[in-house]
Amino acid sequence: MFEVRSRGARLLLQLVVTLLVLPFLFPLVAMVQGSLAGDGWGNYAAVLAVPGLWRFFVNTVVIAAAVIVIVYAVTMLAAYGFSKLHIRGREVYFWLLLACLTLPEVVLLAPLFTTAQAFGFFDTYWAVILPLAALQVPFAVLLTRNFVNGIPDELFEAARVDGASAVRGFVHLVIPLTRPIAAAILIFTLIGAWNNYLMPLVFLQSPEMQTITLVPQFFVGQFSNDQTKILASAVLTAIPEVVAYLCLQRLFERGLAAGALK
Amino acid sequence: MSGTTAERQRLGAGAAGTEVGPGTRRRLRPAGYLWILPALVLCVGLIYYCIAYTAVISTWDWDGLDPFPEHVGAGNYVRIAQDPIFAKTIEHTAVFFVVTFVVQTALGVVFAVLLHSKVRLAVVYKVIIFIPVVLAPAITAPVFRRLYAPDGQFNWVLEHIGLGSLAQPWLGQESTALPVIMAITIWQWTGLTFVLYFAAMAQIDVSVLEAARIDGAGNLRVLASIIWPGVRGTTVALGILSAIGALKTFDVPYLVAVGGPNYATEFLGTYIYRKTIAQSHVGYGAALSVILLVLALGFAILLQVRSREKETTG
Repeated sequence: MFEVRSRGARLLLQLVVTLLVLPFLFPLVAMVQGSLAGDGWGNYAAVLAVPGLWRFFVNTVVIAAAVIVIVYAVTMLAAYGFSKLHIRGREVYFWLLLACLTLPEVVLLAPLFTTAQAFGFFDTYWAVILPLAALQVPFAVLLTRNFVNGIPDELFEAARVDGASAVRGFVHLVIPLTRPIAAAILIFTLIGAWNNYLMPLVFLQSPEMQTITLVPQFFVGQFSNDQTKILASAVLTAIPEVVAYLCLQRLFERGLAAGALK
Repeated sequence: MSGTTAERQRLGAGAAGTEVGPGTRRRLRPAGYLWILPALVLCVGLIYYCIAYTAVISTWDWDGLDPFPEHVGAGNYVRIAQDPIFAKTIEHTAVFFVVTFVVQTALGVVFAVLLHSKVRLAVVYKVIIFIPVVLAPAITAPVFRRLYAPDGQFNWVLEHIGLGSLAQPWLGQESTALPVIMAITIWQWTGLTFVLYFAAMAQIDVSVLEAARIDGAGNLRVLASIIWPGVRGTTVALGILSAIGALKTFDVPYLVAVGGPNYATEFLGTYIYRKTIAQSHVGYGAALSVILLVLALGFAILLQVRSREKETTG
């Protein structure tokens, strides 16, 4: 965007970016550095040796995977319907869905709590998976619908002329063509599900059901507030997400660039 | 006809109200009701059910267990209107929204412009800025509690750059706790703002930029007259998302400061949690939730309508 010709200006630009990035880097460095204070790598060994740590990981993976599958399936179907199929009063339905974007999860606590208990969902994965998926779908549909709008109608019409049904149009056009936006949805949903704190805190009471966002709290009890171990556990729980982001970074950016929020 | 595709692409976040596409063609399209049904069942079913339930609870004086709650009508709402902490939460939310939105937008645009220019190692910068977005506040909260502690790294840095006199217990006093919460939020979400602006700027026509340069426009002029208007849609969408996000704020103030000291970082979300779960005033919490919802919806509609008016007049 900016045009820089001279070496000096280029260096200045580089310097400005570096200075601006430092405050973002600082807490990350503090996190890693803090986790290595005292016993050094011993902190990590101590954290990994805690029995039951894997349960936290497994629970989070199960919940995040289920939320991603549900959100992906439901979103792709809905985006196709909203964008390329005939629905009378479609904007009304769309706004009904979008209104859910404004809903904070705290509002769900009391009703979900009583309902989950009444249906025996309390302290099961479902008590967390369903509300998390419901909260993620509106934003995902918004992004995907805009993306599918960008696919030319002519493609679908040509397919229809050739005798393809709506289902085949979905399988052979929508699914492959939406891969970039699917990467964005995957990342956003993963972040939302993996990082959620409130739902597991309230709905998953037994220790063997809890998720990794509850790990720092767990370690406050376990290590009687030994900060270095808590930071080590923080670094460990952050690694999977950072890796997932790094792997999907290219696709993610392409999806956003291709008409996510405009 | 030729305008339809462009028009569609311009539709911003949820700006879907306008009828799109020629009607004659649509009649040939297969029906889409079944396709949107799962999404509606999941979201509208679950969420609207909860909203309705919350609205009912908000008229009770209920501890969450009593099988026969006392019906108090609008009693909870009357008490909220007189609740000084509620007023505080609204004030915090407003300040929080304005500050975080302005700073994030400024930083996001600057980063996006700079990293679109010829900067070396752009990927490294991008990754550093975005990593906070993927980290859970629950995971980073212990880091920030340490960082801003009286003997934490932040004061250490201040002392080493000659600003030792500014060192203070940042989270322990009312005057600085809220700014710290805002700083953490900005740290966390600037990456998202940046990525969205970065994507939007990639769509700006390079030939327009070149034409402006040939006409003698400098870098700042290009930024103000071409780039900034070119990403307007993203700014509006982010404005709506941050307003809603500000109203929803829970994780950071709760995990870093537990809404304290002395309610200095209490937000609607943390206050609802405090009332509903910690103090078992479930009816009162539900009434607060209803108010929060009305505010969030109102904001979203207001911003949407305003931005559309601007688009048609400007």
